[in-house]
Amino acid sequence: MQRVQRAAAVCFIALSGYVCIAAIGMEYYTKLGPGPGFFPFWLGSIMGGLSIVWLIQLFRQSEKSNEGRFLPEKKGVIQIVLILAALAATAVMSVIGFQLTMFLFMVFLLRVLGRSSVWTTLSIALVCSVGVFHLFGRYLDVQLPASSLSMLAALGL
Amino acid sequence: MDAFSNLMMGFSVALLPQHLMLAFVGSLLGTLIGVLPGIGPAAGTAMLIPLTFSMGPTGAIILLTALFYGTQYGGTITSVLLNVPGEAASAITCLDGYAMAKQGRAGVALSMAAIGSFIGGTFAALCLVLAAGPLTRLALQFGPVEFFTLVLLGISLLMGLAGKSMIKALMMGVFGLLLAMIGMDPVRGLPRFTFGTMELMDGISFVPVIMGLFGVGEILLNAEKPFAQMVLAKMSTLIPNRQEMRDSLGPVVRGSLIGTLLGLVPGMTNSASSFLSYIAEKKSSNYPERFGTGMLAGVVGPETANNAHANGALIPLFTLGIPASPTVAIIMGAFMMHGLIPGPLLFKDHPGIAWGVIASFYIGNVMLVILNLPLIGIWVKLLKIPYGILSAIILSFTVLGAYSINNSVFDVLVMTLFGVIGYLLRKMDFPLAPAVLTLILGPMMESSLRTSLEMSQGSFGIFLESPVAVVFLVLTAVILIAPSFSFFRKKKQSLAAGEEDLL
Repeated sequence: MQRVQRAAAVCFIALSGYVCIAAIGMEYYTKLGPGPGFFPFWLGSIMGGLSIVWLIQLFRQSEKSNEGRFLPEKKGVIQIVLILAALAATAVMSVIGFQLTMFLFMVFLLRVLGRSSVWTTLSIALVCSVGVFHLFGRYLDVQLPASSLSMLAALGL
Repeated sequence: MDAFSNLMMGFSVALLPQHLMLAFVGSLLGTLIGVLPGIGPAAGTAMLIPLTFSMGPTGAIILLTALFYGTQYGGTITSVLLNVPGEAASAITCLDGYAMAKQGRAGVALSMAAIGSFIGGTFAALCLVLAAGPLTRLALQFGPVEFFTLVLLGISLLMGLAGKSMIKALMMGVFGLLLAMIGMDPVRGLPRFTFGTMELMDGISFVPVIMGLFGVGEILLNAEKPFAQMVLAKMSTLIPNRQEMRDSLGPVVRGSLIGTLLGLVPGMTNSASSFLSYIAEKKSSNYPERFGTGMLAGVVGPETANNAHANGALIPLFTLGIPASPTVAIIMGAFMMHGLIPGPLLFKDHPGIAWGVIASFYIGNVMLVILNLPLIGIWVKLLKIPYGILSAIILSFTVLGAYSINNSVFDVLVMTLFGVIGYLLRKMDFPLAPAVLTLILGPMMESSLRTSLEMSQGSFGIFLESPVAVVFLVLTAVILIAPSFSFFRKKKQSLAAGEEDLL
């Protein structure tokens, strides 16, 4: 845990360094007063200072004070990766449309992660995809994307 | 017009059929979100913002605020029947609520908690009505100098009270401000930190960020280990006897006062209100040793307090334009998405909306108390749905919510990224509330700072010329420096430790 926290502190320091450098590239001060770089520069500096204090605190703490695994067991890691992959895969929504994307998304989550029965999976997936698409489009005036592929669009997807 | 006439005008708006329907839907959804594990009020409120795009601003805010205070009611049900708090503020209710359920008194615990919540919420709404006039008049005197120092004070309060580590709270506050810097510079309109991406020109929308940090992050944390099988306690009669009613009077009065007062303080969580109310009940009881074994006061007091807190937290938002908690900050964001700026000008420019929403608090609280008691059986049945199914449905709605904000897949990816960030930050005990608050307040804070400095041609002395600004600055300094003194540190640590033990 300690190592991960130290790495996180270093990441925050790197972030603050980047922000400060980028802010200097913007206008720091104009004739009228502070420019676009003023606020980010000070925020970056404060973040850097705080991250250094945190890093020092971590080094001064004993290793035992933060012992324990940071990452979960292998099964937990797999679950997390699968959820994130499923979320990232919804980026195909603009190509294959909301209905098909959400249907596949739900089938994946319910079957693979939720271990639901086939009928439960299909019924929930249909409601959350086709049902939501029509509910939002017709009654809530929120248009969800249709497929940009003519073949799928012809099927109403 | 006096407060009473304004409130009557508000009722004429809130009692329109479409607004009644939205208050009902908001209350219902809020209870549902409060009942369901794995989704809190912040993510739930953010998720539903896209649904309000086709509505008028009054209806949209009525829906979202009803959802917000509705979550407080829902959290009680799981605390009493399952020994699992639906949301953090109801954690303390588990102690005596579940013990009562095991004794066959779950119905009484739930009905008295609902009545207490109703009184607490209504009391806080009454305070808002009374405070609106004077606070609004005061806030109308504020220029950019006073506003900047007020925002600084609000943020510093949050830092001082959020979690165990001041450094981590400050880091999160600055992190939120840095995220707010992405996009167009609010004064000169130049792009900053956009990496040449068109999608970032308008900045990062707060909705996907919040859904990622709170919604997806929570589901990722729960995915680490199998979700515990829930064991439901049996329900009993909902009708309390005369003695139980009499025993609840003191806790309701104390809970209403504690919750409303703490709700006014930015950064004070409603779990702190519940916790302090529990301590107050224990100290004022003739039988403190019986707490934890099924004392009704241990349920009614905290539940009254957390609902009073939820409604009380809306007072600084409506009167000063300062959100007191992450969920209230999200409601503030919803106001802005509908072209409204919460604060004193809302009462001046849109009195129908401001008073209509305030009047809806009374209606929503009545609906919640009527809704909750007969529907407890249905909420309990919902809890039997396996978590695998619930989490899949929640995730599908987060995708839908993130996409609908700008009709952009980019926002879904932003939400996923912040889901990972939220998961990692939570594992390292970073409080997320300061980041949300500063993300929403960031642009206003920067604009008011830069406008003030432009007015003074770059001199920071302008912040010392206004007496109000000086008071706010002194308070900010005291709040930030106080934790360095051992007395305050010990007080804060004992409060944090107490809350953690209970969670």
